[in-house]
Amino acid sequence: MSYLYPSSLEEALGILRDGSGRARVIAGATDIFLQRLPHSLVDLTALPALSGIKEESGLITIGAAVTHSQAAASPVILAGAQALAEGCARVGSPQIRNAGTLGGNIVNAAPAADAAVALAALGARARIVDIKGLTREEAVEDLYRTHNRSLVDSSSEILVELIIKSCGINEGSAFTRFAARNALALPLVNAAAAVKVENGLVKEARLVVAPVKPAPTRLQRAEEMLIGMPVNRETRLAVEKAAASEVEVRSSLLRCSARYRLHLVGVLVGRALETAAQRAQQRKRGNDS
Amino acid sequence: MIRSITAPDPKQAPASGCFPGIDYDQNPEVWAKAAGRAVYGTDLKMPGMLYGKILRSPCPHARIKKIDTAAAEAMPGVRAVLTGEGLGCKPFGIVVDDELPLAVDRVRYIGDEVACVAAVDLQTAERAVQSIRVEYEELPAVFSPAEALEENAPQLHRDFPGNVAWQRNISRGDSEAAFREADHVVENTFTVPAVHPTYLEPISCVAESDRCDGLVLHTALQSPDSVRAIVAKVLELPLSRVRVIGPVMGGGFGGRVYGNLKLYILSSLLAMKTGWPVKMQLTREEEFTVGRPMIAAELKMKMALRSDGTILAREAEIITDNGAYSAQAPWVSNTISERNDSVYRIPAVKTGVRLVYTNKVPTGQYRAYGNQAANFATESLIDMAAKKLGIDPLDLRLKNCIREGDVSVHGLQINRCALDECLKAAAKKIGWDRKKAGRGYGLSAAIHANGSLIFNKKFRGAAAQARLELDGRVTVFTGEQDYGQGAHAAFARIAAKALGLNPDLITVQSRDTMHSPYSLGALAMRQTTIGGKAVQLAAENLKEKIVQLAVSLSGEPATMENGVVRGSSGMVFDLAAIAYDYHSQTSGLSLLGEGKYVPEKSDYDDSGYGNISVTYSFAAHAAEVEIDRDTGALTVHRIVAAHDSGRIVNQVSARGQVYGGITQGLGMSCYEGYLFETGRVANASLADYKIPTALDIPEIEEIFIENEDPAGPYGAKGLGEIVMVPVLGAIANAVADAAGEWVTDLPITAEKIYQAMAGWECQ
Amino acid sequence: MKQQIIMFQLNGEPLEIYADPAESLLAILREKLGLYGTKAGCGKGECGACTVLVDDQAQNSCLIPAGKVQGRRVETIENLSRGDVVHPIQEAFVEKGAVQCGFCSPGMIMSAYALLKSSPQPAPEDVKTAISGNLCRCSGYKQIEEAVLCAGDKMKNRES
Repeated sequence: MSYLYPSSLEEALGILRDGSGRARVIAGATDIFLQRLPHSLVDLTALPALSGIKEESGLITIGAAVTHSQAAASPVILAGAQALAEGCARVGSPQIRNAGTLGGNIVNAAPAADAAVALAALGARARIVDIKGLTREEAVEDLYRTHNRSLVDSSSEILVELIIKSCGINEGSAFTRFAARNALALPLVNAAAAVKVENGLVKEARLVVAPVKPAPTRLQRAEEMLIGMPVNRETRLAVEKAAASEVEVRSSLLRCSARYRLHLVGVLVGRALETAAQRAQQRKRGNDS
Repeated sequence: MIRSITAPDPKQAPASGCFPGIDYDQNPEVWAKAAGRAVYGTDLKMPGMLYGKILRSPCPHARIKKIDTAAAEAMPGVRAVLTGEGLGCKPFGIVVDDELPLAVDRVRYIGDEVACVAAVDLQTAERAVQSIRVEYEELPAVFSPAEALEENAPQLHRDFPGNVAWQRNISRGDSEAAFREADHVVENTFTVPAVHPTYLEPISCVAESDRCDGLVLHTALQSPDSVRAIVAKVLELPLSRVRVIGPVMGGGFGGRVYGNLKLYILSSLLAMKTGWPVKMQLTREEEFTVGRPMIAAELKMKMALRSDGTILAREAEIITDNGAYSAQAPWVSNTISERNDSVYRIPAVKTGVRLVYTNKVPTGQYRAYGNQAANFATESLIDMAAKKLGIDPLDLRLKNCIREGDVSVHGLQINRCALDECLKAAAKKIGWDRKKAGRGYGLSAAIHANGSLIFNKKFRGAAAQARLELDGRVTVFTGEQDYGQGAHAAFARIAAKALGLNPDLITVQSRDTMHSPYSLGALAMRQTTIGGKAVQLAAENLKEKIVQLAVSLSGEPATMENGVVRGSSGMVFDLAAIAYDYHSQTSGLSLLGEGKYVPEKSDYDDSGYGNISVTYSFAAHAAEVEIDRDTGALTVHRIVAAHDSGRIVNQVSARGQVYGGITQGLGMSCYEGYLFETGRVANASLADYKIPTALDIPEIEEIFIENEDPAGPYGAKGLGEIVMVPVLGAIANAVADAAGEWVTDLPITAEKIYQAMAGWECQ
Repeated sequence: MKQQIIMFQLNGEPLEIYADPAESLLAILREKLGLYGTKAGCGKGECGACTVLVDDQAQNSCLIPAGKVQGRRVETIENLSRGDVVHPIQEAFVEKGAVQCGFCSPGMIMSAYALLKSSPQPAPEDVKTAISGNLCRCSGYKQIEEAVLCAGDKMKNRES
């Protein structure tokens, strides 16, 4: 067996079935040389089912093989899922963004993946099919087994697409990251927020940070605390505190100390929240900008 | 020849006032590089070529009990396997003889060379290396100079008790009295990590042996003659039978002065053993783990001043972290210990410097040779003093800076110097008098030698030849290397000016030790000043010979002006005709101009006091920065660089040196530095060893104070190294101005700035 | 992995090679096809020296398994000059002093080429972003940015 180019999802699943664990799917393949090569590689990038970005009745569907560059430039995503556009625009380098796909960003299960953090904040759900023909839908942040290991098995499952509720009136999202340089760098911390603000008060909130656990991590205490509050300086400081209190971080020789990272978690969540809230308030009258 | 399909726009590239030709590097090689046709060392392939690979120690410090190479030797495709036992090489080194080509009984760092193989392809070589079984007995290791200096510390080298590889104590003037009488004393400790030159092309080498003591090394070096001498000595080959030919070099920055001697020696040994060419190349990871970064240093420094800001004395205790072997670290330590003292009029100096062995990657050098590390410390201390005394940092510098006619505390003769003008110009352009709110500003000043006696006390000059070709063109032979910094284009302009010719008619050649004059090479910022002067003299000598020949041919007085040879009767001689006539007269000789630049005799005494260079370049940089107070994130908005490098030979290339040098200085200030985990390099990749990207660069503005210096060709002198010196102090001082706190440990990261501002204990 | 036939378009010409599809495109270009203009700086997508265009987009050829270019268009630095006629980007790189050691130049020029294909008159910020995946240690990027902007002008003038 070898490098294979299925032309349909069914064909791809068939190859995996026949490969019985010895074939695996790839898309952007940016990390393939870092891993042990399997017997066969099943290239999904040309599959129509995994490509394209479309919006229908308030739901944005993004093919898993959509690249970071495509997502960052998509008018649909820029309008309806701004945090994702921002996250995708900051990954690695133009070359990496041109190759790396959103599905790969999730299945690769890197703890600080920018797109995955934005997707988690946006409440994205991943549609996955397996070789038995079963389809399931999971929240993006629930797809992580452990560090750099996904619950999606590339030898028997295919992440087909991601589904996000498009940003509506009074809703806004934002992504932010902090890295040691402005390109070609993993973030020390990245964070994304998606909020709904009505009459100046927070109605719904999703706050996500990484890398603090194997998966992008929701800050539930901070989210709960926000409900019914206005987003002002005091709230932001309170959220920063709450955020920093509910995660555990480690010191890393290559990145930074735990204490500093914890501090950054608070600041970045606060900043993402503030920007998301501003955007929500700008969209009061269905104003799309 | 590749050429532009449109003529260059003269408005876009105005010629420098003084030199003929267009103002960018028009060396044909530059076109080849842009077209992807230039052949670099990593591109080389030869018929029958084998691939070499090195087995390296996984232990920081261990005794080798046993090496079993049977499996490797039996592997199909393997042509040679070497271990240290039986090589019979004597220890070698650049300053201190403390290395062997392959470890014999002990390894001293993770990466130490243990065995090597040559095979028909790289995959086989890699498999063969992995199949070699080595039994180690681990020994206690030391990972910092402090551990290494402890009384019962494990000893790394028998000949260097106490783990001190090299040390020096300098005392000039009465510094004790100065400190007693001082109104103010400022002191601090500064730390600088090991940094890698990070040339973008990994080091490679193809060695060819002719089985008759002849060896050819195809590798790009800044100082091919120096490497050739060491390789010949280690392998006990006649010097004249060892030849180094340079392919195009993918960056050097000091890291390719000596490059990776082990790689050259081992590929030579494998070529000698197999009789086939052997190629060896470092991986990017090996570049970081066994390449030769510049030494880490700890500088404990204090300065005595009068209330009016007069500097009275400076004392320093410096410890540098050698790693397991010495390479150029003694010389670098020496530069760190003293060069910065000559930026100012300091009457008394007392310095102790110790270079200490540790079980880590051996160190080497980098552009500016440690001067930048000392600049960070000294210039930070100057600003600390300014703050304490309530004197403007610019005024404090102007009050004390060295000036024309001075002899510095270490005996440097400052014949031409516009440092005060550099300081004023940099301050003016950055807006020293109209600082923006919320921004921090910093200044820094520097001196750098143009060639240094330290490399070879007896040899400090350069030689060049200029040959009139039969077609009337001129070929210049020099030992000075060009690797994109524009040396050869500058030499073409210098020769063109001497001969009155268009630089297009001049070819500069240096890549083969068999044909080029001997040279110390591209180091110590000596090329333009010393090498360029030799080119000028060679071209002038050729001109004289051309005129003499015209006189003897025509029997009338003749002159050569603007490239035209004319007899007194008005007869014009074609250069090609003159060349051909000489060629016929002499049955084949070429008309050859020779130039030797032998600078005035100068020396240093046993204490190191003396004028160690033909002249010095000067610079002042100013930085404008902003700090995000929530995170400590630093944005360097602007750097203004004012340089006295004499006459600028090529404005476009000179700007390129400034921008590139400042970016490397920015990298060392804010991003770069080796991280170790029990002796292992933790950030051995370009992802983790972060050099600046295009999105990290401030606005850079250059100012050239063209203070002509007769020591160099037509008043020009060196620029390439000093560009990365003052930027460190300028950024450090601007950060302190913005943050209100000092970061004295490089690199100045957001985390360290935030820690300083928040008053956290350092982790 | 077992060798297989891979068909793609290389520098404007159709090509069929028999190669290990899991080998990197960079290795194929250099070792199999003799196109040494594409440089190998790190092998891990961390320096950009090996940048080529795949279907008009800049990518790190060291990260592309050869099988991936099946049916695609690949363009390398060798396609930008013909004999002694060079592309305006290359001309601008030389004139602006953007080429020093030159090791990053092929990759840098390919990133610039990709940018100018999609955005013929880029803003300075777009240029910085477009070359942000290409490390250069010599230049400080400033003259490279000048060259890319200048190349855009040259290309426009040449068309008109």
